[in-house]
Amino acid sequence: MTLLERDPKSPLTWSGNLPVTSRYTFGLAGEKFFRAIKDEGKIIGSYCKKCDHTYVPASQFCEKCLAEVSDWVDVGTIGELHTFTVLYEGYDGARLVQPEIVAFISLGDGGLIHRLGEINLDEIYFGMPLEAVFLPEGQRQGSILDIRYFKPAG
Amino acid sequence: MTMRKVAVIGAGMTKFVRRAQETPKELSWLATRMALESCELTLDDIEAVCMGTAPDSFDGIHMKGEYLSDGAGAWRKPYMRSYVGGGTGVFVPIQGWYHVASGMFDVVLVVAEEKMSNFYPHAQAAFLTIFDHTTERPLGPNLLWIFALEMNRYMTTYGISKEDIARVSVQHKRNAANHPCALLGDPDITVEDVLNSEVLAYPVQRYDVSPVSDGAVAIVLAAEHVAKRLTDKPVWVEGVGWNLDTAHWTNRDLVYPRYVEYAARMAYDMAGIKEPKKEIHIAEPYDPFDYKALHHLEGLQLAERGQAPQLYIDGTAARDGNMPVCPSGGLLGVGNPIAAAGLMKIAELFWQLRGEAGDRQVPGQPRRGIAQAWGDLMQVGTVVIMGR
Ligand SMILES: [Zn+2]
Repeated sequence: MTLLERDPKSPLTWSGNLPVTSRYTFGLAGEKFFRAIKDEGKIIGSYCKKCDHTYVPASQFCEKCLAEVSDWVDVGTIGELHTFTVLYEGYDGARLVQPEIVAFISLGDGGLIHRLGEINLDEIYFGMPLEAVFLPEGQRQGSILDIRYFKPAG
Repeated sequence: MTMRKVAVIGAGMTKFVRRAQETPKELSWLATRMALESCELTLDDIEAVCMGTAPDSFDGIHMKGEYLSDGAGAWRKPYMRSYVGGGTGVFVPIQGWYHVASGMFDVVLVVAEEKMSNFYPHAQAAFLTIFDHTTERPLGPNLLWIFALEMNRYMTTYGISKEDIARVSVQHKRNAANHPCALLGDPDITVEDVLNSEVLAYPVQRYDVSPVSDGAVAIVLAAEHVAKRLTDKPVWVEGVGWNLDTAHWTNRDLVYPRYVEYAARMAYDMAGIKEPKKEIHIAEPYDPFDYKALHHLEGLQLAERGQAPQLYIDGTAARDGNMPVCPSGGLLGVGNPIAAAGLMKIAELFWQLRGEAGDRQVPGQPRRGIAQAWGDLMQVGTVVIMGR
C-alpha cells in the first residue's frame, strides 16, 4: 500500500531524527595547518621527498608510501583556478538570492575548495591566479572559513 | 571447493586512549605503518586493503570507509569496508582471508579503526541511531540498557551471582596491566571494586563495562607461498565463521547466543576441530561487558550453558590456566574502540602464538587460539581460529 492509498484510520507518519553532534580534533597535521591559517595567515603543505609530492592541505603522512611527512612548506596564498561552478540553489533546494561561485584552487600538488569573491563571471578562466583573502587577525579562529574567499590575484 | 592457506604475518596497533588527538585517518595510518614494518613490507607489496569500522556516527563522518582509505594504505588499490557493528573487528580479517584464500590476492592489509570520542557529549547516544525508528527509538534506548536486560535474563536463568560475573572484569583488567596499549589495565582491582562501582542500568555497574575508546589495529595476511618466504613464524588462519540471528531482539534467545554457536561450528568444521575445549589453547571472546565473555564462551562451546563462571573460579581462564581467556586484557581492560577492539584480539592471538606477547605471554607455547566478536543489532557472531 502506498501513502496515497493508505488506510485513513491508521496512524499518521512518525517523525524522528538522528541526533548526531560531533566534536572533532584537527589531528596532528591539522593542528599545524589551521594554526598557520589562524596565527600567520599562511597556507602550509607537507612534502614527501620520496614521492616528490606536496600535500595541500598538509597531511601527517604520505598516502602513496605511508612515510611520515615531516617537511612543512609554506605554499603561499596564491593558487591557480583548476575548475569552478556557479551555484544557483542551496542544499535545501531553495533558489539562492545571490548565486555563489566555488572553485578548486590548486596549491602545491593538491589544493583547496573555496568560494570566489571580488570577481565577475566573465573574467574567470582556467589557470587564473587566485589569492586567499583572510579575515582580520583577531577574528580568525582556526577554521577553513578564516579564509573568506579567493579573489583574482594582482 | 579448494581454498588456499592464509597466514597472518604482521600486526600493529595504536595505544587505545580515551581522547586521541590524531584524526581517524591518522590513527589508521599509525597502525597500518606499524603492521607493515613488523613484517618488513612496504605499501608496494600490498595488493588489496580491507577496512573494518563501525557506525559512521562515532567518527562523525558518513561513509567513513572512504574517508579512512588513505590512512589504511588503500591509495590506488582494490579496497572495501566491511561493517557488521561490533562484530566488524573479527569479520574484517575474514574478509581479508577470502581475498587471499580465493586466489585473487597474495598479500592483503586488514585495518580496523574507531574514534568514539568525536561523538559529543558521549558515544552512548550514537547507539540511538541503530534502533527501529517506530517501535524502539521513541523510548530512547542505548546499549547499556539493552545489555542490562540481557545480563539480567542470563544471570537469573542460571542463578549466577554478580560476584562471579565481576571476576571476569577483574581478571581482564588485571591482564591488561601487562599490555602496553591498554587504557584500563589495573593490577590491583578487586571484585569489591567492581561491586562497589556505580550502577548504570541495573544490573550493569561501571566496572562491568568496557570504556569508550579511540584506536586502530592492522594486520597483514599472506598466501602460503608468500608467507613462508617472508617469515619462519607464520600464524595460520585455520577456520572462520560468521552468523546472524533475528534482527527482532524480542524474538531472540537472550540466555544463549545461538548465532555465536553457529559461527563457531562453521569455524571448527573448517579447522577440523572436534573437541573445542581440548583443542583451543587461548580464547579471546568478545567482552564489551563482563557477562558477555561468559555468554560467548558458552556459545563458543568452551563451557557448558551457565557454567562459564566456573572457568574463572577454578583458574582455567587465568593467564597460566589450562585455557587462558582474554590474556590481552580484552575490551574491559585494553579498551573498546569497537572495530579496532575486535581486530586487537586477532593481533593478540598472532603475538601469543608466536611467543611475542611480552609480559602477557601465555606459558606453554600455545598452539591454537580462537577470537570472537559480536554486534550488529546484538545478534551477529564472528569467529576466527588461528594456529601455528
Ligand atoms: Zn611518499
